[in-house]
Amino acid sequence: MSLFCGHAKIKDNIEIAPGIYHMVLNCPEVAEDAAPGQFIHIRCTDALSPLLRRPISIAMADKKEGTVEVIYRVVGQGTRLLAGKKKGQMLDIMGPLGHGFPIPPWVKHPVIVGGGIGTAPLLFLAESIREHKLSSAGSPELSGCEDIMKTGNSCGKPAKEFIGTVFVGFLTEKEIFGAELLKDCGFKVEICTDDGSRGYKGFPTDLLEMYLNDGPSPSSGKVSPAIDIIYACGPSPLLSKVASMASRAKIPAYVSLEERMACGVGACLGCAVKSADGGYMKICKDGPVFEVSQVTDL
Amino acid sequence: MDNKSIFINICGIAMKNPVMVASGTFGFGQEYAGFYDINLLGAIVTKGLTFEPKAGNPPPRICETPAGMLNSIGLENPGVEDFIAKEWPHLSRLSIPVIANIDGDTVDDYHKMARRLSSLEGLAALEVNISCPNVEKGGMAFGQDPESAAEVIKAVREGTDLPVIAKLSPNVTSIQKIAEAAVSAGADAISLINTLLGMAIDINKKRPVFHRTFAGLSGPAVKPVALRMVWEVYEAVKVPVIGMGGITTWQDAVEFILAGASAVAVGTGNFLDPLAPIKIIEGLKKYTAAQGVRDIGELIGSAHLFTGVKSRFK
Ligand SMILES: Cc1cc2nc3c(=O)[nH]c(=O)nc-3n(C[C@H](O)[C@H](O)[C@H](O)COP(=O)(O)OP(=O)(O)OC[C@H]3O[C@@H](n4cnc5c(N)ncnc54)[C@H](O)[C@@H]3O)c2cc1C
Ligand SMILES: Cc1cc2nc3c(=O)[nH]c(=O)nc-3n(C[C@H](O)[C@H](O)[C@H](O)COP(=O)(O)O)c2cc1C
Ligand code: FES
Repeated sequence: MSLFCGHAKIKDNIEIAPGIYHMVLNCPEVAEDAAPGQFIHIRCTDALSPLLRRPISIAMADKKEGTVEVIYRVVGQGTRLLAGKKKGQMLDIMGPLGHGFPIPPWVKHPVIVGGGIGTAPLLFLAESIREHKLSSAGSPELSGCEDIMKTGNSCGKPAKEFIGTVFVGFLTEKEIFGAELLKDCGFKVEICTDDGSRGYKGFPTDLLEMYLNDGPSPSSGKVSPAIDIIYACGPSPLLSKVASMASRAKIPAYVSLEERMACGVGACLGCAVKSADGGYMKICKDGPVFEVSQVTDL
Repeated sequence: MDNKSIFINICGIAMKNPVMVASGTFGFGQEYAGFYDINLLGAIVTKGLTFEPKAGNPPPRICETPAGMLNSIGLENPGVEDFIAKEWPHLSRLSIPVIANIDGDTVDDYHKMARRLSSLEGLAALEVNISCPNVEKGGMAFGQDPESAAEVIKAVREGTDLPVIAKLSPNVTSIQKIAEAAVSAGADAISLINTLLGMAIDINKKRPVFHRTFAGLSGPAVKPVALRMVWEVYEAVKVPVIGMGGITTWQDAVEFILAGASAVAVGTGNFLDPLAPIKIIEGLKKYTAAQGVRDIGELIGSAHLFTGVKSRFK
């Protein structure tokens, strides 16, 4: 096993919504091995404060181009330093780290639930699910989604097939990102905002609950297969609601968890989450993605 | 310059360079093996081990501070038997010395640990942690009083023929008294410092960040304190000193060596840069070459020659 630790050139770093940035890094080593749900551990400064690296999920990786993309929200010192980085500068990163979202071969109707910045890793997941499904369906060549921020036909040709359903929620319309990419990956995308400025006014878990209770809305014309897997990333109330709905409906569900990190590789035991069979697991190494039944206190 | 120049032997532990990794910051070695060949290190010190498994403290366990971090891991470890079954097989295959860090609730625990681990063929030494600030019983309490420190070291000494390294807590009034007590009880070397007791308060919740209120401070923020204590212990005892606390660069390592450390350990520095120990080794090689030093041993404690205080060799 070889992990990358070194400098990657910043190809782009733009503000895509107030306080939310999209950074593209040139790093073939990480792009090659990255799986959806994994993260990179970023040193935001060469100085000694802030001291520790910051974990940020991989929002897209392109093996062919050798690029890795992240989407992050400025919440403090580290992310503010990141936002100040310019195109052409080098960034100290390590990765790809952690265990990501599994995509079992039997998946027919995946459902993705995202909240705010938590939507970032779900973009890479959506694209990977699409690739998995189309390649197992015997589709000859597949181009990846080139640019996660492009609106319109960013995947070249949008998948005609129905790949799955996405419920995403944002604070307000201005903060919405990734919706077009998700659609282009063949997902039916249901958007909601906390303030009702776009889509349903409320939380994505409300939509999931309705969906689980009533089945697919008749307006969609054809009936999609029953939900057989749920993936979620977002604030912890969202994750705990998803967890309880999924276990009630007996659907396997995978969630991405967060905790303060130091090493990012399982060496310091700093990022503990209580395991269902007693003791603690490490979010950086055993996760950040867990099957909901693996963890308690969700 | 050949590699012999930075070769060092500490109470029988032969290391091809004086750079070790500090207990609790390097797991059982495998986590960093994906980044570089860990056989390049001087030695590895394991995560703190206890006789029975320990679950550790509930989260949060870490909190960043200016140029440092607080941790309250609580000695989470699989227990000595699980360590021997699952971790020792891969550790024993390394070509470098592996040092087991041990901790106990009682003096007898330390003795039992020493006996059990002494049966492992190839284990290089025991580092006796009488300085963990994050546990209910034992730990730091033993290291805050010369008598109890001596009692623990004696119990370990009686349970093993391996070199015994006493790891001291900086949370004391006189580090020299503790070091002297540990040495007279049979310690072959002293390592220091463990973390400094500190705390943080969450101003939104208006309560301490950590469940145990206090936690251990490490990283560059503690370096000046660590350096001062290495200096003091070097003057107090005749056994080798292993210095640690905030080392992130080779220049930091050189300071510790000049203060009296025969070897150094990188702890929190691994988190900033997994390659830090390797860069420090390279830096030490270049420094000794540039200084015209044939043996790094010549540098140990040499800064003491420039002060009014007598070196221990005078
Ligand atoms: C596996 C993983 C993947 C992540 N992926 C992304 C991502 O794709 N995009 C993104 O924007 N963020 C992501 N995060 C969160 C990101 O790591 C933090 O926002 C970042 O570390 C904050 O650093 P800072 O110095 O800017 O803020 P700080 O000054 O360190 O903190 C600012 C505020 O944010 C809170 N905070 C910071 N980190 C966390 C955390 N891990 N959990 C809970 N609260 C926290 C602090 O309590 C504080 O109130 C991820 C976290 C993890 C663990
Ligand atoms: C996360 C973490 C866990 C630690 N666990 C142990 C331990 O199990 N046993 C021990 O003797 N010291 C432990 N320490 C202390 C370190 O080994 C070292 O003495 C201290 O951190 C100072 O060095 P540093 O500033 O380079 O980190 C731990 C330190 C950290 C940061
Ligand atoms: S951050 Fe060190 S174990 Fe997860």
